Amino acid sequence: MPSFLEFQTQLLNGFVLGLLYALIALGFMLILGVMEVINFSHGILFAWGAYFALTLRPIVGFWPALLISPIFVGFMGLILEFAVRRSYGKDPLFGLLLTFGSAMALEEVIRIIWSATGYSIAAPKFVAGPIVFGPIFYSKYRLFLAALAALLIVLTWLFLEKTPYGAVIKAGASDSEMVMALGIDLKKMRWFVFGLGSALAGIAGVIAAPLWSIKPTMGLEAIMPAFVVVVIGGVGSFWGAVIGGLMVGIVTGVSVMFMPRTSQIVMYILMAIIVLIRPRGLMGEKSILE
Amino acid sequence: MKKMVSAAIRHPLFWVFVFFLFLPYILPFVGGYTYLGVEVLIWAIFALGFNLVLGYTGLPSFGHGAFFGVGAFALANMQLRLIKGMWIPLLAGVVFAAFFGALVALFVAKKRGIYFALLTIAFSQMFWFISWGWDSVTGGEDGIAGIDRLPVGIPGLFSFDTSEILHFYYFVYFLFVVCAILIWIIVHSPFGRTLQAIRFNETRAKCIGYNTAFYKWMAFTLSAAFAGLAGGLYALARNAAFSDIMHWTQSGNVLLMVLLGGGLTSFFGPILGAAVFLVLRDLFSTLTEHWYLIYGLLIMFVIVFIPEGILSFFKKEEGKRGLLVFRK
Repeated sequence: MPSFLEFQTQLLNGFVLGLLYALIALGFMLILGVMEVINFSHGILFAWGAYFALTLRPIVGFWPALLISPIFVGFMGLILEFAVRRSYGKDPLFGLLLTFGSAMALEEVIRIIWSATGYSIAAPKFVAGPIVFGPIFYSKYRLFLAALAALLIVLTWLFLEKTPYGAVIKAGASDSEMVMALGIDLKKMRWFVFGLGSALAGIAGVIAAPLWSIKPTMGLEAIMPAFVVVVIGGVGSFWGAVIGGLMVGIVTGVSVMFMPRTSQIVMYILMAIIVLIRPRGLMGEKSILE
Repeated sequence: MKKMVSAAIRHPLFWVFVFFLFLPYILPFVGGYTYLGVEVLIWAIFALGFNLVLGYTGLPSFGHGAFFGVGAFALANMQLRLIKGMWIPLLAGVVFAAFFGALVALFVAKKRGIYFALLTIAFSQMFWFISWGWDSVTGGEDGIAGIDRLPVGIPGLFSFDTSEILHFYYFVYFLFVVCAILIWIIVHSPFGRTLQAIRFNETRAKCIGYNTAFYKWMAFTLSAAFAGLAGGLYALARNAAFSDIMHWTQSGNVLLMVLLGGGLTSFFGPILGAAVFLVLRDLFSTLTEHWYLIYGLLIMFVIVFIPEGILSFFKKEEGKRGLLVFRK
């Protein structure tokens, strides 16, 4: 039986992972909510964020890399949107397959540039090593990551709730025709949202890089939890995604301790249970997406 | 009798069967090989069955690779542990895939659109992780090797050796013919027409009094059964079953085949799509080791420029309105 101390550590690990999952899922859901596109490329954009960090950090240092990498990834999203916009308003199948194709192509480009081998990258110096609370040793970087992820989640929330841009985006998600009738350039708005969602994936990739092993398939490891989180939390619900992310992170973290082999499956079991009890997810409402 | 024969000859499916009957003899002249033909037939069974869900019911499933894999592993376990043979292990593949399909369908039958797609992706990924971790059944990372292609036939009457690839081709061909006719009958039955009614307007179908969730559940289960058969055949063709067989890309592959050929507009789309896809894959993967880059770009190209599939070129008018069968 694992000790209580170990349990605490794993719980904390799960919580940190959960915040990261929530951040990934938020960018994914932003695009899903506004454009009704399941962006399969979200995971690979996350991976690109990590790879940019891998290359940029030795050159410019941690903080500039944290700023520059998401901008690069955001631009990749803006370019990708030119293809994805062809699928707006059509069956969700088309957007899904389109981004599935781009995910595949972008993953192969990673293999061409950085080769298929895995890399690891150290935590930045100022948060390297453990922190000591009485009997507990805990990685400083994980705490730093949690704080950063929480900050980004709050910033995203403030942007969506407290700025006029956020109001337009939310309106676009519920009734795009009305938004257009009010004289807002819907095309530009969607373009911007895709870039923003991609940048969120990119920044999640940068801060996750020291925890995750950096390899071409890491995109899939990030997108699958995002799917599960969105289903659990309910499509279109901001706090649903945050709660869903934390739940998935914590059950994954705790199950690592008891049954390490099944840790990747428990989130799907959690999803199945929640879908049975609440078909629209914890905080989902009836929407056009059904 | 004469009338029946002439009706059969005029049937487009007949000419598809004739084409595949002679395919192994044409293939060497165009730089192909028999195994490619086997693969085309297997994927054609898979794609035709899958189109029951995608094209006819209008449900964007992104998880059928899982049932393909279940079929392969069920066949492998049956043949290597319980009953040596061909028919019963293949049947096990069908039954297990249908069972798991029915189970997943319980969760997704009331959904459509984006929710449906999200859930099928997530469930198929769950199957993949299970296959990866459950060593005693799936062999884990190594997979299961040593699957045999045994003779088939009726004991005492006749026996047909399938270990040779050309013979195996005709074994698969036989099953392909059976499945294609079966699926043709299904989509033209009242059941199939109800599926299409759901595709066009689920609310309307519901209001007329159809239990649409049941029909969707049934279509999903049936297509999983065909996926299971195809998966079993695939394991036989490769003499092995690996976890890769239910990787997410497989779900994408079958979806792309259906779309590429024009499964949304024609019954025959999935067959054409499977053939074109596999030929292109062979062509490009010999040209470059970065085949996935080309593959990804190809998918994007298809969606942007020919979203209705190749066959839609030939029926411009009808293509816009959905499947041909609906209009007859």
